[in-house]
Amino acid sequence: MDYLDYVQMTRSQQIAYKVKSFFTGIPNAIKTIFMYIGYFFKNLFVTIANGFKGYGQRFAAGDGATKLSYIIMGAGNMAHKQLMKGVLFLAAEVAYIYFMMSFGMTYVSKVYSFGVNVDPDNPNVIVDGVVGNVPIRYEIDPIFGNKIIANADTADDSNKVLLFFVLTLMISIAFFVIYIANTKSAYATQEMLKEGIQPVGFVDEMKTFLDERYHITLLTLPIFLLMVFNILPIIFTIFMAFTNYDKNHNAFNRLYWWVGFENFADVFYNSAEKSQTFGKVLVWTLIWAVFATFSNYILGIVLALLINKKDIKYKGFWRTMFVITSAVPQFVTLLVMRLLLDNQGIVNAMMGTNIRFLADEGWAKVSVIVVNMWIGIPYTMLSVSGILMNIPEDLYESARIDGANAVQQFTKITLPYISFVMTPYLISTFVGNINNFNVIYFLTGGAPESVDYYSGAGTTDLLVTWLYKLTVNEQDYKLASVIGIIVFVICATGSLITFNMSKATKNEEEFS
Amino acid sequence: MTTKQPNIGNMQAGYAKKRKIANIAVYVILSIMVLIWIFPIAWLVFQSFNGEKGVALATFFPKTWTFDNYIKLFRQEGLSDPMDPTSPMIVLPVDRMPFPYGRWITNTFIVAVFSCVISTLIILMVSYALSRLRFKSRKMLMNFGLILGMFPGFMSMAAIYNIMEIIGLGKQLFSLVIVYSSGAGLGYQIAKGFFDTIPRSLDEAAKIDGATRNQIFWIIILPLSKPIIVYTALTTFLGPWADYVFVSYFMKGDDQKYTVAMGLYEMLKPETMHEWFTVFCAGAVLIAVPITILFTIMQRFYVAGVTGGAVKG
Amino acid sequence: MVSKSKKIVALILTAMMAASALAGCASGSSGTTTTPSTPATTSSKTDEGSQAGGEGSTTEASKVEAANLDSDEVMAKIKDKMAEEAAATDGTITMTVWCSSDDKSFEEGLMKEFEEKYADTRYSFRIKKSPIGEDKAGGKILEGPKDGADVFSFADDQLAGLVEAGAIAEVANLFNNNVKAENSEKAVEVCTVNGTSYAFPKTSDNGYFMYYDKTVFTDEDVQSFDAMIAKAKEAGKAVFFEMGNAWYNAGFFFTAGCTIKYENGVQTATLNSDEGVAAVKAMCHIAENIGSGFEGDPGSAGANAFIAQGFKDGKLAAAVTGTWNGPAIKEAIGDANVGAAKLPTVLMNDEQKQLDSFGGYKLIGVNAYTKYPITAQALAYYLGKAESQVKRYNVRGLIPTATAALEEDAIKNDVARIAIAAQEPFSHAQGQSVAGKFWGAGVGGYGGDILNAKGKMDEAKIRKDLAKIEAKMK
Repeated sequence: MDYLDYVQMTRSQQIAYKVKSFFTGIPNAIKTIFMYIGYFFKNLFVTIANGFKGYGQRFAAGDGATKLSYIIMGAGNMAHKQLMKGVLFLAAEVAYIYFMMSFGMTYVSKVYSFGVNVDPDNPNVIVDGVVGNVPIRYEIDPIFGNKIIANADTADDSNKVLLFFVLTLMISIAFFVIYIANTKSAYATQEMLKEGIQPVGFVDEMKTFLDERYHITLLTLPIFLLMVFNILPIIFTIFMAFTNYDKNHNAFNRLYWWVGFENFADVFYNSAEKSQTFGKVLVWTLIWAVFATFSNYILGIVLALLINKKDIKYKGFWRTMFVITSAVPQFVTLLVMRLLLDNQGIVNAMMGTNIRFLADEGWAKVSVIVVNMWIGIPYTMLSVSGILMNIPEDLYESARIDGANAVQQFTKITLPYISFVMTPYLISTFVGNINNFNVIYFLTGGAPESVDYYSGAGTTDLLVTWLYKLTVNEQDYKLASVIGIIVFVICATGSLITFNMSKATKNEEEFS
Repeated sequence: MTTKQPNIGNMQAGYAKKRKIANIAVYVILSIMVLIWIFPIAWLVFQSFNGEKGVALATFFPKTWTFDNYIKLFRQEGLSDPMDPTSPMIVLPVDRMPFPYGRWITNTFIVAVFSCVISTLIILMVSYALSRLRFKSRKMLMNFGLILGMFPGFMSMAAIYNIMEIIGLGKQLFSLVIVYSSGAGLGYQIAKGFFDTIPRSLDEAAKIDGATRNQIFWIIILPLSKPIIVYTALTTFLGPWADYVFVSYFMKGDDQKYTVAMGLYEMLKPETMHEWFTVFCAGAVLIAVPITILFTIMQRFYVAGVTGGAVKG
Repeated sequence: MVSKSKKIVALILTAMMAASALAGCASGSSGTTTTPSTPATTSSKTDEGSQAGGEGSTTEASKVEAANLDSDEVMAKIKDKMAEEAAATDGTITMTVWCSSDDKSFEEGLMKEFEEKYADTRYSFRIKKSPIGEDKAGGKILEGPKDGADVFSFADDQLAGLVEAGAIAEVANLFNNNVKAENSEKAVEVCTVNGTSYAFPKTSDNGYFMYYDKTVFTDEDVQSFDAMIAKAKEAGKAVFFEMGNAWYNAGFFFTAGCTIKYENGVQTATLNSDEGVAAVKAMCHIAENIGSGFEGDPGSAGANAFIAQGFKDGKLAAAVTGTWNGPAIKEAIGDANVGAAKLPTVLMNDEQKQLDSFGGYKLIGVNAYTKYPITAQALAYYLGKAESQVKRYNVRGLIPTATAALEEDAIKNDVARIAIAAQEPFSHAQGQSVAGKFWGAGVGGYGGDILNAKGKMDEAKIRKDLAKIEAKMK
């Protein structure tokens, strides 16, 4: 179908066509994603293979010092007149070996069984002679006769074992990168000397960090912080999904252990009540995300258009009135909303009704969406206002010359422009709504409960609020981390699909 | 114009009339919407002046008005001897207050200032690097950041707490600073969108003059980026005022180290709600006022930031 | 290594058994809690309830003799131990105590007294309070016992979980003997899991009864729910019972004769039965009056604020709740008008039956991971001992567990205490009935469903729902 056919259709047909093509586009988008994933792995393997090839080639072509630096890091650099750099490489190696001997190895060896345990159910038979495994030891107090834990600080704690294992893993990867850099550097300096070029001195090399390699200077601290406080905990939590960590298999006394994919099986099919609850919460999460996103989007645009209508005066005042509401911290406004919508609250009192806004399942679901509109519309309004101001005036001018009336100008220029610019925003709002903890937690807390739900979850719970409750109230960490992983997968695939379907992201270079 | 072409004049008059009606309709709709939007806030403000304690759900205007709720935030009375119910009432010292609001404000302010400075620096560094420098792993880093941002924020809360314990920051305010600013690197999009709009020719010219990239960043780009710096600083400063989840998990009940959001939420616990609800309202209004002022000032930066960032992906 | 650790476990178990046996055999006189005669009701109390209530007094364990902890010899022993424990942390004993945030600094006052009593040149105290309420404390400890408070107050139903997780310390013999001597047997029983004591009793009012407005109801009226609702409706007021909360509505299932038990880590509940259906129907019968004489849902403000506000606004005339709401109700309608009584009867299978309840205790526990095991126990004992309980009653109005304290005139004549005592034969201990998955199974939510349906539910659906709830407890 080409443009002419499309223009000749009636309005409803056009809409139908657009909707149809959206859905027929989905398989293609999914295909693209898998292709991307495929490319990603292909590239990864190619990179690794090339890495090994280069590693071997450099060794074969290297002189004695270069070869030596495959074992003693920095040897090549030291021999090739880069003493300082060589010393730093060597120091890194020494530090890593010391770290592994004194600390890392212990946890690598323990992570298989998470330390010694005294739980008769634990399938990990304690292997005699494993270095450093320490069970909790109780002693009877000689004077007072009570049982006390004698080694609370030194006994194995599954959390610590896992955490330090992940830490060791990350440090090892970092060391590996340095190690490869060392072999490359040794070979590069060797080649330079061969060609009669003096390798750059340490001070000069340091200076490149302010210029050619300035990105390294800028990104080191942020990436370090992300590594330690985001990535490490996330990896730790992902591992947790494969253990049985909950309040009956805690980290500190009875210890937890690996259970493979059991938790995932439970959530998807094995345990009827968990999988049914998961299904219901998932469906509601998606329904919520769709309604919350689009209601805000559409009404936010309408509000922005109203305020920015040509003849409307005091635009700043109107905008400010709405923006004020978003300045009050959300937990406050949401708690206020909860009280206003109470069975005996002021909303019911004013309407003379007795609606159970937050206690009845159907009403509660409507209420959270409506309240979310109250929260979110000002934001959309602000953004759209900005966009409206940015639409080039000459677009309208030429449209007017072509004889387009106001409605046509709106449908042909304003709307497409807004939707074009707002698509990434829409995606991030959708992901944000899937993760929208505040509105649900502070407004209903997941209530009302239902007999059909697994412990802890309520009928308005989203996956994230359920996750939070599982962590804080139920101490069911294993299930919480499974849910976390699933939320991640949903958000990631969902936004990849939409990113692929909208072209908005591909124009980064064109604009600058 | 109208006399010569009466038809068009009529049409215009009709059009003007129509437009007038439309405008009035818009004003009415806007006014109703503003009322709906302001209503909960107004209710909160009125409750904060309520002279009677308790949760008066169905009333809008309080029966008696008072300013005491605001005073009670900072000045709480109690028995001079907690063991003796007949002892005289005294003004409690901060560490004996059931709800040390002043302490919480100070805590939040400290956390907000530190995390604002650190986060703003990080965001500027990351977004500058990703926007104006070209290097091999740039695309990969951006994609990686995008993916990392899709894990639910508090999924790894328990693990982060463990790390804090190990590095000796357990139950410390500074652990909050780290939590709020360590993830800042992922929030580079808006600032990057802004940097993308600064013409590249500036960099080129400076490079020809022999400036390093470091100098370009500090001397040329940053002075041009005032709006985005203000925007970033304000958003990162406001974050800690509203966070409840991390504080509640990290502070393990140590109320001297709560931030204001956590502390206020504590007032609404079942055992204290009746007594403290109006005080809660006062406390909420008190933090909302400066934030509202900041927010109103920030409006234009927000618009610039969001739309700029949105256009540039 | 296997054998070694197993040996240790075995050793510990034997030691534990020996210790508890010794404690049990010590001689002494028995002193059960007072059980004043209860007003006669038209219902015949189900056997189970009274058995559960009587269990404590029928055990062979008799009272132990209290040691004099204040004697120079014992005092020196304790102080030596404190010095030893303090030495590991440079002479300062830094401890945290968790208790409810509305305690008006009372517990801190006790802590001060404790510090003064055990002051010594060899160490110094730094004990501080954090506001984690009894309802949350157990869970918060389980989040990570090493980060938790050294001493914490908690509701008795959390004890089993804490013991299973190994997060709560055994009570040392020295203190335990005194605890047993001072407190009512039922209270001691609640602190005991598999023959070992793990906690110190603090208050005996973690249960509920009924507060009512004497200007609206006579003593006759408060006998049955139906009469009360009718009378309240006449007066344009309402009776409040929080039906959407399992802690309250479980009483109906007990009354109907369902077995709700928690034994050896297993939760059993026979809700899906004729008895269960009868219980739900009885709830429905009351819920039909919602909005006219009856209120069942406290809404967003929570039950405490709802009750306080309801009495203040004159909307409520009676409420099923506990001592924690006493002060607010008294403030709202005046001391003289506040009446307290056992729960009224409910119409079940066309018969008026006495409504059962949970009668619980608030306990004080010591973190198993504390750095100061004995110091913490000494503090816990001090916070919970009979004298402190009396002081606590005087300042905060919380009902003691110590037999001597219960004999004090003021306490003996306290309306709330009398009501609790009257309800006691019909009350059930949480630790023995609902410590497992009972709370997460949706019993409370089901009460909400009944309210939503305004009591109109057909039997087939009730049975289906009850089956689901029962399944979730396993």
